[in-house]
Amino acid sequence: MTEVREVPLTEWLRALDQARAAGFAMLDLITAVDRIGVVEVVAVLTNPDTAQRCRLTTRVPADQLAVPSASSVLDGASWHERETAEMFGIIFTGHPDPRPLILREAPASGVPPLRKASALTERVAREWPGTPSGDDLRRARRPQLPPGVRDEWMSEREPA
Amino acid sequence: MTSREPRGVIQLIPDACTVCMICVQECPSWCIAIDSHHEEVSEEGARRPRTVSVLDRFTIDFGLCMYCGICVDVCPFDALEWQPQHDYPAATRSGLEHDTDRLASHGSS
Repeated sequence: MTEVREVPLTEWLRALDQARAAGFAMLDLITAVDRIGVVEVVAVLTNPDTAQRCRLTTRVPADQLAVPSASSVLDGASWHERETAEMFGIIFTGHPDPRPLILREAPASGVPPLRKASALTERVAREWPGTPSGDDLRRARRPQLPPGVRDEWMSEREPA
Repeated sequence: MTSREPRGVIQLIPDACTVCMICVQECPSWCIAIDSHHEEVSEEGARRPRTVSVLDRFTIDFGLCMYCGICVDVCPFDALEWQPQHDYPAATRSGLEHDTDRLASHGSS
């Protein structure tokens, strides 16, 4: 069973520290999820004695992506935060070593790669194999975008 | 879905496929492609002929497939099945694209 706790941003470090003190001493990962307009930062902790897990989340407005770094509370948070920072464009304030971890260079589009606004070029360039054709196309009320493909990506597509 | 499923290869049972396209549309990897055409079937007693979709070609590109099994789960006609065979290397990139006959043969060996 995974315990799930959503905490306000101001409580983030305290909540992590409390979880650690309650036995969830091992940090599994820190990552984030783009909820469009809001980015959810996620930390998963494990209790090494009981193998129980605890998932903590906090929501950050997408135009103000600053989260206090957990590296003072949890050893091992550093790399996870470096990766989350470059993939989602989050600034972890007070991070001891905020260099990029995985990406050699910042993406040319300026959009961090795991944000929903970051277009998947393969999805834009390739025709969706599920595109309705013939009779099905006539039956379809309006052209439908494949799941996971966003309108704004397609505006850059060359007309066929 | 159970963890005991043998996720080796996906078998197609062509006779069960109705070309509903659900697997193609649900596939997150875009690795399934279907070619089909419509045919009119006249049935005795029916007022007008019925239009049915006929499968021409069904391919799965195992170079793109991530073995998530969503296609197997969503197929309303059980035309896709997991099979344990995992030994199908290819010398070329296109050799990983299995067509109707090859997909159908996965259950028999």
